[in-house]
Amino acid sequence: MADIPLTAAPALGDVNLTFASCVLTERTDIALISVATPHAGYEALAAKIKDVWGLSMPGASASLNAGAMRAIPLAADQMMLAFTPDGGLSETSVQAELTDVAYTTMQTDAWAIIELSGAGATAALERICPLDLDPQTFPNGAAARTMMEHLGALIIRLEADRFLLMSARSSAQSFLHAVETSCRWTAP
Amino acid sequence: MIIKHPLLGPRDAAEFVYLGDANMIKRPEGFGENVEEAMYEHVYLRENPAGEHHELWYHEQGDRSWLVVTRNTLTHEISSVELARDVARRKGRSK
Amino acid sequence: MSQSNRIDGGQIDRSRTLKFQFNERWLTAHPGDTLASALLANAVRLVGRSFKYHRPRGIFSAGSEEPSALVQLRKGAALEPNTRATTIEMFEGLSATSQNHRGSLEHDILAVNDLLSPFLSAGFYYKTFMWPKAFWEKLYEPIIRSAAGLGKLSGMEDPDTYDHGYLHCDVVIIGAGPAGLAAALAAGRAGLRVILADEDFRMGGRLNAETYAVDGMDGADWALGVIAELAIMNNVRLMKRTTIYGAYDHGIFGALERMTDHLPDSGDKPRQVLWRIYSKRAILAAGATERSMAFGNNDRPGIMLAGSVRTYVNRFGVAPGRKIAVFTNNDDGLKTAEDLRAKGIDVTRIIDAREGDVVVNTNGRKGLNTIFLNRGRHVEADCLAVSGGWSPNVHLSSHHRGRPEWRDDIAAFVPGGELPPGMVVAGAAAGTMTLAATLAEGHEVATRVATDLGKSGSLATAPRASDEIFATAPIWHVKESKHRAWVDLQNDVTTKDITQSYREGFRSVEHLKRYTTLGMATEQGKTSNMLGLAVMADASGKTIPETGTTIFRPPYSPVAIGAFAGRARGKNFRPTRRTPSHNWANENGASFVEAGMWKRAEWYARPGEKSWRDSVDREVKATRNGVGICDVTTLGKIDIQGHDAAEFINKIYANAFLKLPTGKVRYGLMLREDGTVYDDGTTARLSETHFVMTTTTANAVLVLRNLEFARQCLWPDLDVHLISTTDAWAQFSVAGPKSRALMQKVVDDLDLSNEAFPFMACTTCTVFGGTPARLFRISFSGELAYEIAVPARYGDAMIRAMMAAGEELDLTPYGTEALGVMRIEKGHVAGNELNGQTDARMIGLGNMVSRKKDFIGAALLDRPEQVREDGLQLVGLRPIDQDVILTAGAHFFVEGDPEDMAHDQGWMTSVAYSPELGHSIGLGFLKRGRDRHGERLRAFSPIRGQDVMVEVCSPHHIDPEGDRQRG
Repeated sequence: MADIPLTAAPALGDVNLTFASCVLTERTDIALISVATPHAGYEALAAKIKDVWGLSMPGASASLNAGAMRAIPLAADQMMLAFTPDGGLSETSVQAELTDVAYTTMQTDAWAIIELSGAGATAALERICPLDLDPQTFPNGAAARTMMEHLGALIIRLEADRFLLMSARSSAQSFLHAVETSCRWTAP
Repeated sequence: MIIKHPLLGPRDAAEFVYLGDANMIKRPEGFGENVEEAMYEHVYLRENPAGEHHELWYHEQGDRSWLVVTRNTLTHEISSVELARDVARRKGRSK
Repeated sequence: MSQSNRIDGGQIDRSRTLKFQFNERWLTAHPGDTLASALLANAVRLVGRSFKYHRPRGIFSAGSEEPSALVQLRKGAALEPNTRATTIEMFEGLSATSQNHRGSLEHDILAVNDLLSPFLSAGFYYKTFMWPKAFWEKLYEPIIRSAAGLGKLSGMEDPDTYDHGYLHCDVVIIGAGPAGLAAALAAGRAGLRVILADEDFRMGGRLNAETYAVDGMDGADWALGVIAELAIMNNVRLMKRTTIYGAYDHGIFGALERMTDHLPDSGDKPRQVLWRIYSKRAILAAGATERSMAFGNNDRPGIMLAGSVRTYVNRFGVAPGRKIAVFTNNDDGLKTAEDLRAKGIDVTRIIDAREGDVVVNTNGRKGLNTIFLNRGRHVEADCLAVSGGWSPNVHLSSHHRGRPEWRDDIAAFVPGGELPPGMVVAGAAAGTMTLAATLAEGHEVATRVATDLGKSGSLATAPRASDEIFATAPIWHVKESKHRAWVDLQNDVTTKDITQSYREGFRSVEHLKRYTTLGMATEQGKTSNMLGLAVMADASGKTIPETGTTIFRPPYSPVAIGAFAGRARGKNFRPTRRTPSHNWANENGASFVEAGMWKRAEWYARPGEKSWRDSVDREVKATRNGVGICDVTTLGKIDIQGHDAAEFINKIYANAFLKLPTGKVRYGLMLREDGTVYDDGTTARLSETHFVMTTTTANAVLVLRNLEFARQCLWPDLDVHLISTTDAWAQFSVAGPKSRALMQKVVDDLDLSNEAFPFMACTTCTVFGGTPARLFRISFSGELAYEIAVPARYGDAMIRAMMAAGEELDLTPYGTEALGVMRIEKGHVAGNELNGQTDARMIGLGNMVSRKKDFIGAALLDRPEQVREDGLQLVGLRPIDQDVILTAGAHFFVEGDPEDMAHDQGWMTSVAYSPELGHSIGLGFLKRGRDRHGERLRAFSPIRGQDVMVEVCSPHHIDPEGDRQRG
């Protein structure tokens, strides 16, 4: 046994690109744990996350934020907890909290996360995202899984002009290319 | 086409995968010779009407729910969309 | 001669002059011109040659319906054939050339075709080039091919880029003429989300081409005012240069926006964007297209639609001629004369068919100079403005099930039948032919849509204009004319072609269209369909509605294939998936193979290796004799959790899983409901309620889909939950007799002895001093082997650390080829064997299949084909002559038997060169194969030209007892 602590490699090499009207940044500070609700276990899980993080269960199309923790709907009986690990909060500690009330799976490594922000963000997304991102239909906090350039993607609106875009880690370069191309091609 | 997902609202059909006749929910349970005939019909015989059809669609690029979509195959009009899980339970499926 | 036909007025910017080239000649124009208006301004009348007869052709219209003035735009790789001069927006340096002539435009050698026209009538292909038969391929076809077609492609790759996009709105308004603008104003003011699209680069439609007043001001100015108001509304998106080309299901429309076609340079932006517009409602305000009448030699340059003459005069400040005659069957034609006179242009004669005056023939070799009327009269004219009435642009209304309906009062078809759901029609497209009525209708329709969508109707009132008179007489064909009369200018279809095809028995309009080529190509019948139909109705003695109409399919006007492809070109045709060790593999000589979207290392070439076989043989030997490592991340991984997870998996796999202990892995065989093998893999139990299933690379997505189906549709009350973790874990296979020694250096504080961690054990652990990991003792190669998984973010560091730790053991990376060789040596089935026709018995796993439980595929295990006595069974094959390299796909025959289906014994599924055995080996399916080990057979492959003798053996070419993997 050799002690060579392994270094984590970001999916997109910590990419950070600035375009005329938007900025694209890889978010490597977000940990993800998927949380499945056991049959007849909704109440217990809801009570637990309320108790521990002050978080409510998210609706089908809206993520919820409480402090450092964000709950993102994934499926009818599954959500994702997204958080920035710090002293008290880690993938292991979050999973440990939920052992008795949910089925959790480490998902941090399954996804690459891009933050897209700026006045041109929605114009760039218009080229790849089939969803209606009008603030009336997709307000702050809204979350949806969809398909962009043939890749599964999860889009979350943080603010009017700030989005998180998540896609599978193995195809992250293709996803980045798609978003980057949109930013470049829609730059005024 | 657009499928009005019962939980998520209208979504482009491109997010979905089509399977076919919703009768596939009615899988004969059990094994051995007594279910062979029923299983033969289940596997090989499908409704394929020119008109209203109950179909299974899978929201693969979405929330991974299976849906029962009632669609007119002549006009593509979709008259109802339900979670397949609810339909399955209604038809008596459980464990 | 600089813009000698330019006159006063028009919506062009005279403060700037643009230079452009036509047939290498430099000319000038102004911003706001089209190529057509600029050519006319420069008195260029002859712009091309017709399709079949190579007749001189000029500019016929002023819009996207143009059948004649097709040119090649731009140069080099960016050259685009068959673009309509009437839709090309002028820009500095524009270059266009005429097309479809051999030699110069003025002296086209193929103009001789015109003299041969008696032989080139409808259906001439089918009649003329029939015999001798051998002449077709050698002579006729090459000649026809070289003479056929209009423009020529550059033959180079399209240098431009194209994009796609998605837009959403409450109402999409198609066309920004008077009806569309009135509708947009009402809908916009009511607060609807509006998309207003128009194919022109200037919105306003006919308002720009006419001299009518709206709300007391000039129509074009009124349009400008409306557009300015709409432009500042946040809820309105104005899309000029955008053609809505198709109406699809559920309110989806296809739109093509020309982003940079009007610029000298695209600035590295996409040339065009193909939008998918999602709408709740649609207002079709696409206007109407004027049509001609058929009379003798009505195709000469200078003969033009009357409304288009007004467009050139009023919108572009161009006189299409200096002596213009008007030939009309309706009041709209009279308006042309009025407008021309107002501009001081000489109107040489108004020929009103309603008064019995008709044009029977024309003269002028490369441009009109004389018009011959009935009763022996003639008129000098260099331009003839023809109006045969207007046809509503019903196209999009018939893209679903709509069937246009005939209206006698306007002698035209209007939208009818079942329109696309949510679509309403307004203005000329609906057959409302006068301005005031059109404006009112646009306003009214939009107000209704707004109310319908829950927005209170607007406070504004409809724009007002005075209504002109619109009276038309349906006169289509001047029968007094003895000369050829064109119906379709683009495809050289004359009235004679139509009557002839009718005589030959083509009674359906659809047949007529295909036989004569009427309404084909870029024009799609916009100017020709009505005329063709009328001539056919006349020939059959029926009315037009009895004769029928051809309906329209998308696209409304041509869309470049590149626009449909969008970004999906070259390496961006589809996404690429990379394994966590991709960069490391790239640095270490790997070549990559595509496995679905994945790029996998197929082998790692080392200096001195001459062929891929050298690398693969080395990798196999090194693994079998020492230790090898392979990235197996691509195998599907599905996290399965829940109180009923074990029961669920037991229903999925054909073999027993209920009692798999925690800390163990089991091979699982997945069937389809018809009993055929679907997929296989290993599933590990990490805890009472937690399993990790692996699938083949190819089926990863499909298996998850099927599991979700089983979970939601078949057994909805089982407490079981699924999520893919394929991308979450970097997984490496470590195989070979020294793999235990290596793994001991990798994992932290774990006893890997055979007793403590036996074959098919699994555990969570840490590696290299604390990195979390999962360890499985499973083997695909047949060697002592492990799979070790770490979170994907550590994958790159992991392979580097493993290689460093394995240096003293000569750890060798191997690719998918070596993996394949080792599985064939071991007799493990893969995709070649599991091809959708295979059942468990065939691959020797019949006994593994449970007979004591229900699972997917349980009921149909014993179909007659599956239990037949001479069923196919998996065997190994080796060549009698050890120098022979076997080929997959060869079929087996008993020596002496004929090579036919009746004597077919089976086939070779997989082959490889086994470095361990020193010869080629194979796997295959053979009738009663398990009883035939030792038998000699022919392996016959007529496709590869191989016919060799092979000996049947066990599929387990090496270590049949499995001692190595258990050791």
